[in-house]
Amino acid sequence: MSRARLARYSLWQFRDFAIERGIAIMIIGLLWGYTLVAPMRAAMGAAFDIGPRSPAWPLVITITSSVVSLAVLIALNGIVSTDRKMGYYRFLFSKPVSAVAYYAQLFFVYMAGVLVAMLLLSGVLHTIVPAFKIVNFLVYAAIIYIAMGGIGFFVSVATRFDWVTLAAIWLGSRIVRDFYGARPGWKSKAVELLPPVHKLNDVSMSIITSGTAHTSDILWLLGYGALFFALGLFLLHRGSLAD
Amino acid sequence: MDGVPPANDDSNPAALVIEFRNVGKTYRSLLGNSVKAVEEFSLQVGEGEILGIAGPNGAGKTTLIAMMLGFLRPTTGTVEIDGMPARTFVERNGIGYLSELIAINPKWRADTALVRYAALAGIAESQIPAHVNTVIEKLGLAEHRDKKVKALSKGNLQRLGLAQALLRDERLLVLDEPTHGLDPVWTQRFRDIVEELRRPDRTILIASHNLDELQRLADRVAIIDHGRLQRVVSTGYDQAQQTATRFRLTLASGHERIRESFPNAEEAGKGEYDVTVRSIKELNTALADVMSRGGLVASVVPERSVLEQQFREAVGESQ
Repeated sequence: MSRARLARYSLWQFRDFAIERGIAIMIIGLLWGYTLVAPMRAAMGAAFDIGPRSPAWPLVITITSSVVSLAVLIALNGIVSTDRKMGYYRFLFSKPVSAVAYYAQLFFVYMAGVLVAMLLLSGVLHTIVPAFKIVNFLVYAAIIYIAMGGIGFFVSVATRFDWVTLAAIWLGSRIVRDFYGARPGWKSKAVELLPPVHKLNDVSMSIITSGTAHTSDILWLLGYGALFFALGLFLLHRGSLAD
Repeated sequence: MDGVPPANDDSNPAALVIEFRNVGKTYRSLLGNSVKAVEEFSLQVGEGEILGIAGPNGAGKTTLIAMMLGFLRPTTGTVEIDGMPARTFVERNGIGYLSELIAINPKWRADTALVRYAALAGIAESQIPAHVNTVIEKLGLAEHRDKKVKALSKGNLQRLGLAQALLRDERLLVLDEPTHGLDPVWTQRFRDIVEELRRPDRTILIASHNLDELQRLADRVAIIDHGRLQRVVSTGYDQAQQTATRFRLTLASGHERIRESFPNAEEAGKGEYDVTVRSIKELNTALADVMSRGGLVASVVPERSVLEQQFREAVGESQ
């Protein structure tokens, strides 16, 4: 009964996503894609035929994977913390609803929303760059949503300043890994505990291009995100909804 | 404190609904500073009872309510409703709750907000429009139903908050400062609504600064200050509790003979006198004497209600 009720409420959650986040993701994705791909197309003229062997292909992968990261950041921003900051939780959770189930569902509804936005954006890109495979791109987006979004969900449960914290974690991990990752000693081992952002370049290139990647890399990304998502749910269950 | 039941004395014969047992809540900052919001709070609230919670600002009323809804975990002690942890009860049954601060997404439309809350409350989809229309009519929100929440006035927002609390036939209602922001007409209407809601199997908690409101609505009032329960006052007339002995008497006629009935009467204005009596019986005897001498009594108003007097004593004593 409770699950069915919550499942029906997912339509409202999806509507909220579309209005409050989906439109922003689409606008930013289109602007980003247009401002970076259009000049490339203009410069290459008739030679504009980007495929995996084209020197411009890595740039396309970089642009599209960045749009995915940005979409996840926008989607996860305030997913839990806004309700707490603004006090919306009071009326929501005086109803017979489990906060853990509510936010777990919200996480996956937003994932569906991000994938729909990525489907539309990649559909546009596919018309310009036919070699760009929509399905491969959606698989990559789903993996990044779990990997990055899982951490974002945890951060949103744990702090009010979630998007700043998530951006700092994501960027900080990249910098620290670049700096210490290759050095011998305990520091490089400690760095291994950080989010596996160093795997993103290889995974994005591999999955978007061919639809495959090293299983260990994918498991590492998914496992890391899933662990933090579960930790976020545990914190919701054990902690207080009010500040 | 004669006649005032002790906090943990379960003198109410009705089935127990809510139990606060040695509840404490301490807020700790990252720097190690701590503030005790609630301390050693024990109270039982029976089924069918309307309990008022009164206290000055920062007394811990809202923290207590947050623990009762399971929004906050007590640092010590337990809060149970129908024998289960508060949060478990809320997740299984729901509570009609009106918070002090009405926080509803400002982008939502008023009626859409109610439809959403009704869906979460578990009202069958086919019955949601009827439930929403009922509370909209009851709270006079018909002309505002299409407005965005951000366009509602403070009073209308308060009514929308109350409307969502009344969507379902809840066994437990918790109303935190319910008449805050309401005009006098809607304040009175709210009181009528609460009276209509009184039912043997329904428990209502009302936290308010307004002692007059609690005096009118509640069966008992828990007075808290500095996070501690100071006393519990029954609002029904109880001679043993009656310590308010000063009344303002207004006479329509018979002024010249007032001191024959009330020797200590002090003139307080045109036709108004402040009189002091030792008991209600003495007051009634003296009033009968005024009337037997041809005087006409227009009104008799206690200078302070029992609750107000108890509140002043409780809050004053603890400071």
